[in-house]
Amino acid sequence: MAHAPVTEESEVVTEAPVVDVRTLFEAQAIPFMDQLYAAGLRMTRNPPDAADLVQETFVKAFAAFAQFQQGTNLKAWLYRILTNTFINSYRKKQRDPYQGTIDELEDWQLGGAESVTQGRATRSAEAEAIDHLPDSAVKDALQAIPEDFRMAVYFADVEGFSYQEIADIMKTPVGTVMSRLHRGRRMLRDLLSEYAVERGINTSGSRVQPATTESKKK
Amino acid sequence: MTDCGCEKAKAELEEYLHNELAKADAADIAEHIANCDDCTSDAHVGAVLTQAVQRACRETAPSDLRDQVMLTLRTLQSNH
Repeated sequence: MAHAPVTEESEVVTEAPVVDVRTLFEAQAIPFMDQLYAAGLRMTRNPPDAADLVQETFVKAFAAFAQFQQGTNLKAWLYRILTNTFINSYRKKQRDPYQGTIDELEDWQLGGAESVTQGRATRSAEAEAIDHLPDSAVKDALQAIPEDFRMAVYFADVEGFSYQEIADIMKTPVGTVMSRLHRGRRMLRDLLSEYAVERGINTSGSRVQPATTESKKK
Repeated sequence: MTDCGCEKAKAELEEYLHNELAKADAADIAEHIANCDDCTSDAHVGAVLTQAVQRACRETAPSDLRDQVMLTLRTLQSNH
């Protein structure tokens, strides 16, 4: 994890604090600000709301910091507060019409999935194309998929949370996390491939594979 | 050594890529992928997708947000 602070795992003696609560909070929680802001941007989809959301998250986290059990996962705890705050304060005003029913939609209703049948050469070209897409295209694609799918992808792929941790953060069963993550990644992949095709980035599979595929058996 | 086959590898690829499989299962999938071009390319797309998302989501909080949060914490503490 790029920004993982060194303080996360450190043991702190809680009974006789040498440092006051604010100093401890600043040392332990503030280093997660960039990550929380990045998550906030994915949730709110705009910088001013993301900044407000992070501000509110830190205020709530600070107020509840006495209840945080030192030695447990502070990052996951902060993300839980961020997610709750987002749902309670922001989602209401920007609720997308599919929210709440999205988990029940069948795959065909979500589109995509046709590329499941494509061949290996096509997939290898697809990987190459995705690898070369600008960050802005990836962000646009993330913003275009349903919020619960987007956040499952974010928590798993960017933050590296386990399915169980994501389930705790999103307050949903692990099976739902799996389904959101799979479908979110499937949609993302299709959107990115479409984008690459539109921009004339080659996904056709006409690139010849390097000669390393002689006689591997299935 | 029995190859677990494409069906199991494809069904569990996402869990494999996200380190959610038990050691033995992960080893089975890894072994199959190593010997199957088709599943190798599937796994590669999955890994590239993760990297693309990681790259795109790197952000730095604006410095005025940082200042504001620190200020708020100080204010809150002095009001306790």
